[in-house]
Amino acid sequence: MVIETNNTRAVAKGISVHEFNKFYGAFHALKNMSLEVSPGEFLVLLGPSGCGKSTALRMIAGLESITSGTLMIGDQDVTDVLPKYRDIAMVFQSYALYPHKTVAENIGFPLKVAKTPKAEMEIAVKAAAEQVELGSLLDRLPGQLSGGQRQRVALARAIIRRPSVFLMDEPLSNLDAKLRGNMRAELKHMQASLGITTIYVTHDQIEAMTLAHRVAIMKDGELQQLGTPKEVYANPANLFVAGFMGSPPMNFVEGSITNGLFTAEGISLPAQQLPEMQNVTLGFRPEDCTVVEKGQGQIDAQVFTLEMTGDQSLVTFRSGDKSMVVKMPKDFEISPDSYAAIQFDSAQACFFDTSSGQRLYAQNV
Amino acid sequence: MIRSLFEPRKIGEMAPATKLLLYFILFAWSLFVIFPIYWLLITSFKTPAAVNEGPFFLPWVDFKPSLHAWKDLFVYDLSDTMRAYFNSIVIALTATALSVFVGSLAAYSLSRIEFAPNLITILYFVVLLIGASVAIGVYKTDLWLTLAVVVALFFLLARAVGRLYTARLKNGDILFWIISQRILAPIVVVVPIYMMFQSVKLLDTHIALIITYAVVNLPIVVWLMFDFFNSIPRDLEESAQLDGATMIMTFREIVLPLSRTGLSATTLLVMIFSWNEYLFALFISTSKAQTLPILVAAMNAGERGILWWTMSVAIIIMIIPVVVMAVFLQKYISKGLLVGAVKG
Repeated sequence: MVIETNNTRAVAKGISVHEFNKFYGAFHALKNMSLEVSPGEFLVLLGPSGCGKSTALRMIAGLESITSGTLMIGDQDVTDVLPKYRDIAMVFQSYALYPHKTVAENIGFPLKVAKTPKAEMEIAVKAAAEQVELGSLLDRLPGQLSGGQRQRVALARAIIRRPSVFLMDEPLSNLDAKLRGNMRAELKHMQASLGITTIYVTHDQIEAMTLAHRVAIMKDGELQQLGTPKEVYANPANLFVAGFMGSPPMNFVEGSITNGLFTAEGISLPAQQLPEMQNVTLGFRPEDCTVVEKGQGQIDAQVFTLEMTGDQSLVTFRSGDKSMVVKMPKDFEISPDSYAAIQFDSAQACFFDTSSGQRLYAQNV
Repeated sequence: MIRSLFEPRKIGEMAPATKLLLYFILFAWSLFVIFPIYWLLITSFKTPAAVNEGPFFLPWVDFKPSLHAWKDLFVYDLSDTMRAYFNSIVIALTATALSVFVGSLAAYSLSRIEFAPNLITILYFVVLLIGASVAIGVYKTDLWLTLAVVVALFFLLARAVGRLYTARLKNGDILFWIISQRILAPIVVVVPIYMMFQSVKLLDTHIALIITYAVVNLPIVVWLMFDFFNSIPRDLEESAQLDGATMIMTFREIVLPLSRTGLSATTLLVMIFSWNEYLFALFISTSKAQTLPILVAAMNAGERGILWWTMSVAIIIMIIPVVVMAVFLQKYISKGLLVGAVKG
């Protein structure tokens, strides 16, 4: 019967971050960050290292104080509440397993702290271990486990208490590539079946794209864009997001707009009713364009290399000091150093203000 | 043929010549280290005559072993010997327990909490302290009245002064200050310490020696344990915190079990320091609280010259507990003392 109550979905709570600021001395680590996470949502904080995403997560966990701003979990203001009263479970990048405790003791630690009766604890530990397929390793010490198994122990310890919020700080970054792929799928499945609100920090955009309901992209302590993976990918709000999402990243060409035409060295194309402007950057994704014969597309350039990655071919062009990448089918052939052209649908191109980095949107004139 | 002597037979092995040389050096070094202990042992079984006519190296061959010195210490002077032994044990154990307890808590907080005491407040505190001491000691002001005035002055002015100058000390400064206490040679402070204990009438008591040893060893404990606690990943404690554990519980469940090696190494080190300490014991204890090192030294002071035979017996009984402990804890010591260098 106890197992049954254990398997019921947790009461997911929303998280509301309002104007978070964090100062370390004079260093402004987090700048006016606000976001709402709805109950049961999987939100990924994505950004390069040092962008403040881990700081934000640690502030939500209560491991770092909040210099200014408010934090609500559910309908409770927990800005100044001790971590242990926030009803949060966190998975650390290092897993933070207690090296002197067995797997069972590690998983059961949150219950032990809560003074759960022994019998009940044992059942819960077993159930949690089963859930992450660790049932046979309960008596081992963390030092005797592989990376993937340690990761599972950390997960089991996080889920055993049915917290209302899950925080994960780059939990997959210590695993090898193949295992990371498997664990990613399992994490996603587990989060969906438990329905626990999750905030997940990573610098890996593939993880962000595959796991998240919504992605929050950060840079230099500032939130750059918040949206579903699709939105963020298709409609980047600025140059940084455009360049950060996607592998290979978006191609950029610097130029200017005059008379509704974007012009750069050897390029001229309609600029989606944008006003006249110097210093404009054109961006287009490698998969939104194709290689055509010289003179047939928008940009003429010389082929630099052709890389076959298995499921596709990447053609890199060089023109001046710029390089542009085009994704082509895997059987595409072209000889290096030959001249060709890139053709793309100008409706799918994005324009950015080069100096501010902000996206330029078409105005209805 | 010659070449094969200087080439290892397999990867990861030593060349035969290297091996030979190495074992020769190790053997010579062991002789060098073990011989004094052997000499001590046989001297304890020599009669005064055998010592004076010597050197004799082999019992039963060179000289006839005798229990004469052992009888001296354990039959005729039994109460003196046992008292010194008992004193040493009580003082070393208590002082060690005290300094390890206080020192490791200090080290833990220094490694986990960021302190930022105001520099000017500390200076101000010291000035007040000196002022109060001079007032009480030289001008014979009333003790309690002076204390009350000083405390009031401190709280009244501390905030005002503290606001004017905001230079703050960091944890590293505090740590260095603690370690700097150890840099001071004990001989410099032994007379003031003697006078302090004299004025509170604690000379020749266990408490005086325990306090002195605990304080003298505190810097070592803080220093060693600080490095040790720093090597324990903070994630572990943060994780425990999120799981609902209190600070005390985190310390007991996570930090303490993980610092066992460091604690035992530190404990042993401090215990040996206290066990061997001579200078403070010489000043502070006169008869009742005399420790073993004093007893050993006393063998050198009689009218009959140096009593090598009884001195050997005293030294042997003094080093036995240390040797036994070192053998049992050797594994922990090397691990514990290396922790700063090898992280794993």
